[in-house]
Amino acid sequence: MEEQLVTFNLGTEEFGVDIMKVQEIIRIPAITRVPKAPAYIEGVINLRGNIIPVVDLRTRFHMPANADTDLSRIVVLQMEKRVFGVRVDAVNEVLRLSEENIEPPPPIAVGMEEHFIRNVGKVGDRILILINTDQIMDEEFADEIAV
Amino acid sequence: MSVDPQDTGIDLGEFLEFYLLDSQEQIERLGSGLLDLEKQGNNITLINDLFRSAHSLKGASGTMGFTPIVMLTHAAEDLLDRLRQGDAVVNMRMIDTLLEVTDRVKLMLDQVRQGAEITVEFNDLAGALKTLIQGIGQEEPAGMAPADRAAERQGNQGVLSRDFALTAMEGESISNALVLGRNVWQIDVDFSSEAVMKSVRAVMVIQKAENMGTLLKTAPGRETIEAENSAKISLLLISDETANEIQEEIMTISELSAVHIYPHSGTASVDKDTEEGGQDAETGATMDKSAQVEEASPQAVAPRTALPAAADQSKNSAPVQTIRVDTARMDNLINMAGEMVITRTRLVQIGQDLKNTYPNDHQVSQLNETNMYLGRLMNDLQEGIMRLRMVPIGTVFSRFPRLVRDLAHKTEKEISLDISGEETELDKTVVEVIGDPIMHLIRNSVDHGVETPDERQAAGKPTEGRICLDAYHEGNHIVILISDDGHGLNLEKIKTKAIEKGLIDEREELSERETANLIFLPGFSTADQVTDISGRGVGMDVVKKALNNLGGSIDIDTRLGKGTTFTIRLPLTLAIIQALLVDVGEEIYAVPLSSVLETLLVEKANVKSVGNVPMIQLRGNTLPMISLRQKFEVPEHENEDANLCVVVVGLGEKAFGLIVDELRGQQEIVIKSLGDHLNNLPGIAGATILGDGKVTLILDIGALIQEMVAKQRKNLT
Repeated sequence: MEEQLVTFNLGTEEFGVDIMKVQEIIRIPAITRVPKAPAYIEGVINLRGNIIPVVDLRTRFHMPANADTDLSRIVVLQMEKRVFGVRVDAVNEVLRLSEENIEPPPPIAVGMEEHFIRNVGKVGDRILILINTDQIMDEEFADEIAV
Repeated sequence: MSVDPQDTGIDLGEFLEFYLLDSQEQIERLGSGLLDLEKQGNNITLINDLFRSAHSLKGASGTMGFTPIVMLTHAAEDLLDRLRQGDAVVNMRMIDTLLEVTDRVKLMLDQVRQGAEITVEFNDLAGALKTLIQGIGQEEPAGMAPADRAAERQGNQGVLSRDFALTAMEGESISNALVLGRNVWQIDVDFSSEAVMKSVRAVMVIQKAENMGTLLKTAPGRETIEAENSAKISLLLISDETANEIQEEIMTISELSAVHIYPHSGTASVDKDTEEGGQDAETGATMDKSAQVEEASPQAVAPRTALPAAADQSKNSAPVQTIRVDTARMDNLINMAGEMVITRTRLVQIGQDLKNTYPNDHQVSQLNETNMYLGRLMNDLQEGIMRLRMVPIGTVFSRFPRLVRDLAHKTEKEISLDISGEETELDKTVVEVIGDPIMHLIRNSVDHGVETPDERQAAGKPTEGRICLDAYHEGNHIVILISDDGHGLNLEKIKTKAIEKGLIDEREELSERETANLIFLPGFSTADQVTDISGRGVGMDVVKKALNNLGGSIDIDTRLGKGTTFTIRLPLTLAIIQALLVDVGEEIYAVPLSSVLETLLVEKANVKSVGNVPMIQLRGNTLPMISLRQKFEVPEHENEDANLCVVVVGLGEKAFGLIVDELRGQQEIVIKSLGDHLNNLPGIAGATILGDGKVTLILDIGALIQEMVAKQRKNLT
């Protein structure tokens, strides 16, 4: 089945998320740090009167931190009723990927925990890591809270 | 009547919501009505109401195609129908079974709500209802002499709801009339065989009928009646008059052989249910001119038109001028109002800037004046929207009569529940969460508070225990009282237990109130027996925690042998609070003003550290303090001041100081949730959005105090 994706960058890696999960893409607003929250939660922002958490994807994927640039964005994801943002270095494009260009994740991923990777997509000679959006805020998160 | 949703081709999705809301209401009405019925016995008005609720629930479920609900409510409706016909007298088994029906239907509605297939078993219950109905024929009902009954039977024999071939619109007027509490009568008139010019009589009957209400339809049709001499005509009349009144009026016309009047359900032409024959001829008055049953007939009717509940009915049927709105839409409104406030703050800022640049410009002054007016409007708007969210606490209380009844049965105690103050309003968000804590306290009162009838008798009390539930406003708070007249808390036992569990020290001197409050400590339980009613005693601390989380408090007043009263105090709304904004480093935090006792400027030299807890002397008492900077790991920021800014906060009798960098001032803030992900962070109750659009976190003083107390205990040991 063909997939439509929003692609973005973190460092040199290129990622994709299902366009149906993307509510909007915004510039980085004032982020309020939340003490005692898990490290990958950068803080909360005001999205038109709603307060939503923002995940620093670099921290989440164990990549070195990076200063904001003009290209930095927050991709607001919506899954069922949960809305949260993920901070990315830059948003690239929206593209369609046909089924034959989508492959299961390689056994050893690029330093990322496997459960974050849903599939790997190929566009010409570019490799896209398709993110398992359900996992970004899940399971582990509950554990860390309990600690 | 039951329509398969697949066949209609209409998207039922949008009706589903209304269906669910409506059904929920009917079920609740049924539930509370049944409890009333249990108390009042055979109250025919009440039974009629119950029948109507069951009927409309059945109808709506049929339209939506939820067959199991239809089957169940249909069976319940049958039983209620027999009851309202006076064929049987209500008994406990019937009430229990009917209550069970409401429970099952609730479960079914839950499944519907979740979009699942209805899998709840219903055949057993429908069977039980059928057995009850069949049982009715066997035993002669009390309260009605067999002779009357026989007479009635005869009168009703062979009566069929006449098919009036109603159009949809006529059907609707009937159901509307029924909803409004008006009567819909089917009037069958037989003319004497020797009557000449039957059509003239017929026209006279029709005229009489028209004088008493709205004549909806005749069978045969009006023209046929006028043109031909029909021996028998039927009228369908919507009227406020009773069957007897109508009958008397029509009987004044001569040469009629019989007039029969039955209530009409309005569905005869479409609904097979009502074609079951004599049984469905429902309440009715029958008068046979030749048979002279005038004496017997009113008697048979009397129990049905009995008046005692007339007042009740007028209370119930008073139209309520409300609309239902999805809470999400309301939250949205609140958000938008909040956004507008923020935008206005910007406008004010721009106005100020303009004034600085053009101090003498008339238009700038006008802009600023308009801004001010806008601000007042915004305040009113925000307040108005908040008021929308206020609901009476009765919505929570209404589920407790059933709870107490069931629990009393289970524990074999006799308990009455008195509820007052149901109309006291509070914010919907509070209403949603206080149900469980109150329920727990009531369970506790039933289980541990009220004694068994024997024990009560021995103590010289009436065998029936009383639990009272009351609510009233007190300033910006709502107070909820839960009291019982049981044996009260055994303070000695509580103290012993607390020492046993190491919760307090043996030497600790505690006041009665402090001792009673020990039951709110985690892991405390005095019940010798663990029961499935009040659980394992893990509940009381949970109750307290839940209430504290809402910014509320709970207190106990107990008298040995006399009873126990729990007093809950809650803020009226969780949505807006007064807060003190404080700076810590670059960050701003909001402290709920309700827990702020005072603010101090303290010299650093006066701060002593005891076991890693900084303390100061305040009017002879030591005040432990928490450094917010340390606690929340705020990034380091120069603070060379010789003085510390301390906010003294307290809840109940515990107080402590919060060390902050600076006070920003007091402000009204709208509390928002941090969402599921960040809901349970220690020390943070929620967040708000300030005038500049930035998010600020709100401190959870209750949690900070608990943490502090725990830490101090640890230090002591």
